[in-house]
Amino acid sequence: MTSAALVHVVVSGLATGSIYALVALSLVIVYNATRTLNFAQGEMLMVSTFAGFTVYAHVKLPLVVVMLIAVAAAALLGWVIERVIIRHAIAATHFDVLIITLGLSLVLRSAAGLAWTHDEFPFPSFFGTRPIVLGPVRVAPVSLGIIGASLALMLGLWALFTGTRLGRAMRAVAQNQRAARLVGISVERVYAASWILASVVGAIAGVLIAPVVFLSSQMGLVAINGFIAAVLGGFGSMPGAVVGGMLLGVIENLAPLYLPSSIKHSVPFLVLIAILLVRPGGMLGRVARRKV
Amino acid sequence: MRLLALAIGAAGLLLWPWAAPRYFVFLASLIVVNAIVAIGLNLLSGYTNQLSFGHAGFLAVGAYTAAIVATRSPGAPVVVATLAFGFVVVEAILNLDGLTRGNDGLRVPAARLGPWALATDTARYYLVLVVGAVMMWAAGNLARTRTGRALLALRESEVAAQASGIHVARYKTLAFAISALYTGVAGGLFAFVVGFLSPDAFDVFLSVDFVAMIILGGLGSVPGSVAGAAVLTVLNDSLAGFQNYRPLIFGAILIASMLFMPGGIASAVRRLRTRWAGHPPMAPDSRRGLE
Repeated sequence: MTSAALVHVVVSGLATGSIYALVALSLVIVYNATRTLNFAQGEMLMVSTFAGFTVYAHVKLPLVVVMLIAVAAAALLGWVIERVIIRHAIAATHFDVLIITLGLSLVLRSAAGLAWTHDEFPFPSFFGTRPIVLGPVRVAPVSLGIIGASLALMLGLWALFTGTRLGRAMRAVAQNQRAARLVGISVERVYAASWILASVVGAIAGVLIAPVVFLSSQMGLVAINGFIAAVLGGFGSMPGAVVGGMLLGVIENLAPLYLPSSIKHSVPFLVLIAILLVRPGGMLGRVARRKV
Repeated sequence: MRLLALAIGAAGLLLWPWAAPRYFVFLASLIVVNAIVAIGLNLLSGYTNQLSFGHAGFLAVGAYTAAIVATRSPGAPVVVATLAFGFVVVEAILNLDGLTRGNDGLRVPAARLGPWALATDTARYYLVLVVGAVMMWAAGNLARTRTGRALLALRESEVAAQASGIHVARYKTLAFAISALYTGVAGGLFAFVVGFLSPDAFDVFLSVDFVAMIILGGLGSVPGSVAGAAVLTVLNDSLAGFQNYRPLIFGAILIASMLFMPGGIASAVRRLRTRWAGHPPMAPDSRRGLE
């Protein structure tokens, strides 16, 4: 294994990891606001990507426009799901809302299969296919593009959460809902904003990864690795989600070099068990203490 | 009144094979098998608020164990076949393909109970019915044992339970073990009822079906588990020609039960009963009571 080839593997691992990180972020955004794990995140991502693709298939618009359409569809989807379904269960336990999102994921995947069939579709890519050569190192432009776009999005999220009123309100709700309400924050509005934001982040991840994995109704399964990434980093921590995603992507890509290749699909779960044994709260997380 | 209803129900179940066509006897057996799994899963989810998406795996282990024992030693009584878990799991790990025939599937020989071979749907129905009744009775009585009370305390508040000396980890593990035992036994019965096993029957979507059964039936309720299993098994069977719509409908059922009928069929029935009796509606927080 030459070091140049190693760089190639690590870079493509970082690209996959960026996608996991984005999906992990969207899970964490909803979790922080509502304390619910959104089982339907992967399917929401898939439906939004399909929405962009449908427009592209009819009118050959520039890809930036396609992405904007996917983002708009995602925002609408997130808003509708929050208003029509989740809001009605606002008094229910987290377990109940978990079951609702599980049902949603079944409904969305099945509906996508009915609307677009269960086939795989090639999705256009922003980036060329000619490898970029830097001395002895060759990397795929799509890897660099995914990493760059994801980092830009993460920076944007960071700016949103630290610099804007909405972001500060979302962080306040994450810390203490009652206290947030007392200082005049509309918790309901934060719920809706969180669902919309999470859905949009997911849709961008979807548009970025669709050219690599093909677009299909099964694409939502990427959320499983996103979930593992979020747990690795410490569920609820946004920097943790990013670190966990990157780490998972790199390890998953490196493992087949040193271990039997059939192990690739088990790697995320093995990494998860290993990290949780050493640090039960994840890498950047704390073990939550529950009071009576 | 209660005894009369029970007696009529029991008589109906016992006479079912004479009243219904053969296929519906098979379907009834399948309902009972699914009900056992649902009761087992409900012991886990209803008591400890833990979800399991792995119960199809336990069902598979139980089913293959029974099938392999029945194939290898044709004279073995069905009890041995359904309960002989551990050693076959070890053997299966050592020698997987030869035992399970991989994706080709495995034909299950008829179950034997002492001198009788249970070769007809009716015979299998009675076998499943007896086992199911015993397991339902056991699950219903669990809440009245020391272990059951510990699990109930655990469900209400983990911290409070721990403070009163309940070993949380041990009892959660115990709940999981009992749950897996139920599912394993159901797997053994499943093997004989269906008569043919292949790995793709036990995918994660089957686990989701079981989750849907206990959500629709009502978390923490034994009769609810049975009701949920009955409704969804029949629904599943009538949707056989519309496979694409199946997850859509099951997902919609999950959402609708949570939004409009929290506590499932069990608590809806309880609410109706209090209304008929002329009592005021009960407090919403008692909706997860165990009967």
